[in-house]
Amino acid sequence: MPAISAPFPSGPWFEELVARATADTGAIERLGIAEFRFGMEIVLPDGTRPLFGLVLDGYDITAVGPMDEGTFAPELVFSGQLDAWTEMIRWIEAHGPADSAHSLNGLSIAGIPFEARSSDAMGSDKFYRFMGTLQAVFDAAGSESPVPVGTV
Amino acid sequence: MSLGLDLSYLERSARGEFDLGWLRDTDTEWGVRAVPSKTGLTMRDIFIGSYGEVPEHAPLRTMAPRGSDVAPDVPDMGYTINDKSEVWSDNVLDLYEEAVSRQWSATRDIPWGDLAPLDPDVEHAMCQLATVLSEVEMVAADFPAKWLWRINHDFVEAKMFLCTQVMDEARHTEVFRKRALANGGGLGKATAVVERFLQLILDADSYDEGSALMHLLGEGIVLSLFRAGAALAPSPVEQQIFRLCMQDEARHVAYGTMHLRYRLERDPSMAEDFHAYLDKGEEIMAMIFTTPEIVEPTAILAAGSVEAARDLGAAAGDVLRLQIVGDYLKRCDHAGLDRRGRLHLPDAIVQGVPGAMAGAAA
Repeated sequence: MPAISAPFPSGPWFEELVARATADTGAIERLGIAEFRFGMEIVLPDGTRPLFGLVLDGYDITAVGPMDEGTFAPELVFSGQLDAWTEMIRWIEAHGPADSAHSLNGLSIAGIPFEARSSDAMGSDKFYRFMGTLQAVFDAAGSESPVPVGTV
Repeated sequence: MSLGLDLSYLERSARGEFDLGWLRDTDTEWGVRAVPSKTGLTMRDIFIGSYGEVPEHAPLRTMAPRGSDVAPDVPDMGYTINDKSEVWSDNVLDLYEEAVSRQWSATRDIPWGDLAPLDPDVEHAMCQLATVLSEVEMVAADFPAKWLWRINHDFVEAKMFLCTQVMDEARHTEVFRKRALANGGGLGKATAVVERFLQLILDADSYDEGSALMHLLGEGIVLSLFRAGAALAPSPVEQQIFRLCMQDEARHVAYGTMHLRYRLERDPSMAEDFHAYLDKGEEIMAMIFTTPEIVEPTAILAAGSVEAARDLGAAAGDVLRLQIVGDYLKRCDHAGLDRRGRLHLPDAIVQGVPGAMAGAAA
């Protein structure tokens, strides 16, 4: 599976990621419904912090951004330096679905290199509730469609 | 007890003399046409009109569906939980739909065929952790099951959600038992401290007490263990197990948090009761952090071997401790219960958790 051609980070990159992840609608439906506004903050070397978003709405997944955090109103923001984002994505492109060390969960559990911040407990608990769906989206950077529940 | 058998009805109906009282004299809201939303016809879609009105106090104690025309001679089922605030949460309809939609199978959805031999230390650690989790998960089925039949049927959506939790926990018990037996290991030790915590939940005098101890505290701890398990998984098999369990467990915690919030919003005077429940629970929580059968397998999974865990294990333990206590305090805050001033946890347990040190037990 070739790498996404749009530059990272950019709106087109996230849109292509979501298009790949949702190409198999049956796979997405097997992951189950989700309701979540997931913010992704990329800390660039110049200190700017563009924010992109994934909106999980039932079985629909939409990429948005870059946009202002106040406008997007994420329930949780997953934030890290550009290098950390790039390394995670390159690993998935090279190896396929993330192993535990390169997963959203594994990379944020200690607060480094990614911080998962939310204003209340519901935001972080939703991060845990929909982890499979979120990871499936990112795993699509390295495979044609997510590896969902129910197909093994 | 007379069931009121009317054999003459057989004769009348055979002659075509139908009663039709159910057709002509039923006093319910008629003409309802619930509209499916884009994922299908959800519980929220049918939570409309009089059918979406949940009484603060159930007027009857029957199994009659809420909104039906209840015959005057229906028997009293003896429900003891008859106030909505005792079991309700604002997210319970959505959590039910989510639970049904995100079910999975421990037989089909785990790539068991990909299990590979592990370093013996790591296999032992995984099996010990699987033993603890297989042990603790079933209490989160036993507890709702113990209380379900006492909950008034007017709060059926909450009962339905608790039914999903029973199924979730059966699956968790199953998947960890399977993992322990699937890769050349076996079950490990069951400890008294874990059993004491489970007993505290099961023997709770009220649903309030048990829910606070289980949904908020106990499942919050296990959720962090699942998260750590997914992050430390030695293979995609364990990663998938822990990730799927984490999703389920977080639903239960979300219910517990929002239920406590709902309860306290309607009766703030209950805060002291919940503080007392959690005082007890936190004492057991502290003991869990000093239980080798939980702490050491986690450290070994993080480090890769017993020897490496001696050097790195403390750091892994710190990550887990900070997450458990930090997330717990955030959930209490969201529920409207400020535990920061009266945590019953030793300083060594709360050290490093933002805002947790003041008032912690020495």
